[in-house]
Amino acid sequence: MIWLVMIACGLFTFATRFVMFSDAAPRQLPEWLQDALGFVPIAVLTAIIVPAVLVSPEGGLALAGNARLPAALVAITVALVTRSVLATIVTGLVALWCLDWLVY
Amino acid sequence: MSSSTPPTISTRSREFWAGVRQELPLQLGVAPFGLVFGVLGIASGLTPLQTILLSSIIFGGASQVVFAQLWGAGVPAPVVGASVSVINLRHALYSASIAPYLRSLPLVWRVPLAYLLTDEAYAVTIHRLRNEPPSPHQHYHLLGTGMTLWVCWQITTVTGVLFGATIPQSWSLGFAIPLTFIAIVAPAIRRRADLAACLTAGIISVVGQPLPWKSWIILAAIGGIAAGYLTHRHGTREVA
Repeated sequence: MIWLVMIACGLFTFATRFVMFSDAAPRQLPEWLQDALGFVPIAVLTAIIVPAVLVSPEGGLALAGNARLPAALVAITVALVTRSVLATIVTGLVALWCLDWLVY
Repeated sequence: MSSSTPPTISTRSREFWAGVRQELPLQLGVAPFGLVFGVLGIASGLTPLQTILLSSIIFGGASQVVFAQLWGAGVPAPVVGASVSVINLRHALYSASIAPYLRSLPLVWRVPLAYLLTDEAYAVTIHRLRNEPPSPHQHYHLLGTGMTLWVCWQITTVTGVLFGATIPQSWSLGFAIPLTFIAIVAPAIRRRADLAACLTAGIISVVGQPLPWKSWIILAAIGGIAAGYLTHRHGTREVA
C-alpha cells in the first residue's frame, strides 16, 4: 500500500513539474493562479515550522519551559541576517542544546 | 548568484559544467536537509528502502518530510496524497517560467528535465537563461544543476539512513527540519501578503492540532495560500 501511495505522490509531483512543458499546455498560467501558487512555499513551510516549535509531544501548546521557542527565535534572526541555511541550522541546534543543558 | 563570466562559445559540456559549478554552493543547504530527511524517515517508521526511494520517487524535500510524518502517524492514504500534492503544486510555477526556453525540445529531454526541476535547480538555471545569451545547448545547464542536486540529495539521504540509528535522540536532530524551513521562509517574507500567508498558516497549524489525521497541515497550507492571495489582491486594488 505504501508503495502505491509513494508512486502516486511521485507521479503527481512529476506532473506538477511537467505540466507547462507539455505540447498541450497553454503559453501562460492564469495570473490569479500564478499569484496564488507564489504563496505555497511560505504557507506550507510555516505550517511545518510552527507546530514543530510550539506544540508539545502531547499535542498542546508549549510556551513556558520550551527551549525550542527561544532557539527558533535565534534561528530566525540568523536566517534574516545571513540568509544561510547551514548557519541557521547550526546556530539553531547549538542554541537548543545550550538552552536544554543550561537553562531548562 | 555569482555572475560568472559567460562562456565565449556555448557548448554542451560548458553549459553542463557551468550548471554543476553554480549549483554546488547551494548544496550547503541541501546536504544537511538530505541527511536529516534520511534520519527522520527511519524515525517515522519507514524502512530504509522506502526512505531512500522516496528521495528519487518524489524528489521534493518538504513533501517527503510530510509524507514520512503523516505515514508514520497512520494517516489515511488520501490525506497523505492530498497533503503532498498541495506542497508540490508550486512546481507548476517553475514549470511555467522555464517552459518557453525548453518547450521546443523533444520529449526525451523534456521528461527528465521536468523530473529534475527542483526549487534550487530552477533558481540557478533561470538566472542563466534570462541573463546569458541564448544557445541551442542551454538545456544542458538545467541538466547540470538538476543532476548536481539529485546526486547530492540521494547521497545525503542514504547517509542519513545509514547513520540515523547511531545518532542519540538527545541531539534533537529532528529540529533541523523546522530550522531548514526557517532559513527559507524568514528571508522570503517581504510583502504584507507574505506575512498574512505566514501568520494564517501558523495559527491554523496550532489551533488545528486536535483535528484528525494531522489534517491541519493541508488546512494551514490552503488557509495560508488563501490569506496571502486575498491580501495581495486587496493591496493591488487599493493601488489601482
